[in-house]
Amino acid sequence: MSTTDDDVTIADDGSFTAPLVLAYPYDRTVGPTIGRFLTGLMEKRIEGTVGSDGRVYVPPAEFDPVTGEPCTEWVTAADTGTVETWSWSADDERAWAMIKLDGADVAMMHRVDVASADDMSTGMRVQAQWADERRGAIDDIATFVQASGDGEAGQ
Amino acid sequence: MTERVAIIGVGQTKHDACRADVSVAGLIREAVDRALEGAGLTLAEVDAIVIGKAPDMLEGIVMPELWLADALGAAGKPVFRVHTAGSVGGSTAIVAAQHVAAGVHDVVLTIGFEKQSDGNAMWALSVPLPFGMPVHAGAGGYFAPHVRNYIEQSGAPDYVGSMVAVKDRTNALKNPYAHLHQPDITLENAMESPMLWDPIRFVETCPSSDGACALVLTSEATADRLDVPTAWVHSTAMRSEPTMFAGRNSVSPRAGEMCAADVFAQAGITNPLEEIDVAEIYVPFSWFEPMWLENLGFAPRHEGWRFVEDGVTEMTGTLPVNPSGGVLSSNPIGASGMLRFGEAAMQVMGTAGDHQIDGARKAFGQAYGGGSQFFAMWVVGADKPTT
Repeated sequence: MSTTDDDVTIADDGSFTAPLVLAYPYDRTVGPTIGRFLTGLMEKRIEGTVGSDGRVYVPPAEFDPVTGEPCTEWVTAADTGTVETWSWSADDERAWAMIKLDGADVAMMHRVDVASADDMSTGMRVQAQWADERRGAIDDIATFVQASGDGEAGQ
Repeated sequence: MTERVAIIGVGQTKHDACRADVSVAGLIREAVDRALEGAGLTLAEVDAIVIGKAPDMLEGIVMPELWLADALGAAGKPVFRVHTAGSVGGSTAIVAAQHVAAGVHDVVLTIGFEKQSDGNAMWALSVPLPFGMPVHAGAGGYFAPHVRNYIEQSGAPDYVGSMVAVKDRTNALKNPYAHLHQPDITLENAMESPMLWDPIRFVETCPSSDGACALVLTSEATADRLDVPTAWVHSTAMRSEPTMFAGRNSVSPRAGEMCAADVFAQAGITNPLEEIDVAEIYVPFSWFEPMWLENLGFAPRHEGWRFVEDGVTEMTGTLPVNPSGGVLSSNPIGASGMLRFGEAAMQVMGTAGDHQIDGARKAFGQAYGGGSQFFAMWVVGADKPTT
């Protein structure tokens, strides 16, 4: 293999290769539904919308996943919930979990900070820990921790 | 075509530089809900959805059909995605029409959209690729030499480009959905507009817009039953060619000429200038109006600019072109082709409002994309097609 300049390489079989790096900035606009959810987070409030079948979606669904109609009815969920399923990340040393907040009917993904995987279990109760400085993003909930008072693992 | 195809709903958003008030899903639904309202149908009554958008790099949305499924009401239904660069709005509408024509689906919803404010089309079209010369020129830089070539070939006076801009931006004043409303535009001040990509001036260039367009297409039986304003698809055609090859005519691409000949022949049209009452053609840079008039066969070779100069393409002319204000007044790229198709349909439905051409019975919609290499066209009529 030989290199003709900084970028182009020519393999022994004569084939040419050059790197193509695409790095490109975009913006994202969320609209009024997710916008209200993010505003709530800044105020330590977790809001969701109600679907046509009465299910409460947290984070909110802008359009009903079943009928496609706009979701306009709002509810406020608690900042406590139940772990439905989870996975331990050895690199992060924390769990990623599907957490069904009290007052919601579907789970949302967030992280749970506990000492080790041995402290995680399906059905465990968790509590949101709010970031000190909130900016209207999902990490305004810094993480979830085991809820105080009902730490019984493995229900 | 086998089954007759009806367009019974045309919806579009208010187009603007930045629609920060809505998500992409909300933007789409603004158009979809208007199209369904016109059709007198609900989302639940749609059988299939066909969606198209601008090239993925432009706004960084790679699989809209995936994360917009709920907003599209696609649960339990087939959804299709179409790609053909800037002509995508036209080819998406054609794919939707083909589903109805084939008798596969009865009610098809089709959508084109783009939120240009989420990206930067100019730079997304200027990616430096290995083994090639990095031009960093965007669409205007790519097309400016074609325009220069046209001016030299045809001997068109330099003010023709500005005349088209004044016409389209003045027409846009009659279209409440248009992005640009420039009541103060005159030929004099247009010609003082800065030269952006010589010979294309700033005022002769389309804006970057956020917007969406949606159409509802149905079978003949359903259209007859619903009894709402209807446009009938008389013909559709698409053609493609490579971006560059030796001897290519970039000013009047062969694929465009073939596409136009086919779409008019299918519709039984032998003299497009006489038989078409109004045309919505894809003119992102004003000089493309005379260029496409020739490419499409409305004007003889090198005479397109005379049509502009003589007012043929004004709203009061023999062939009004872009009474909506066209791409020059609103350019959500992924929707722009469908807007041409939809505006053509509105004209024969009689629902174009203040920019309605009185008595329009037959209209033509055209979109082009890539390096003038993808062409999509349809002829629609107030009457059911007989051919």
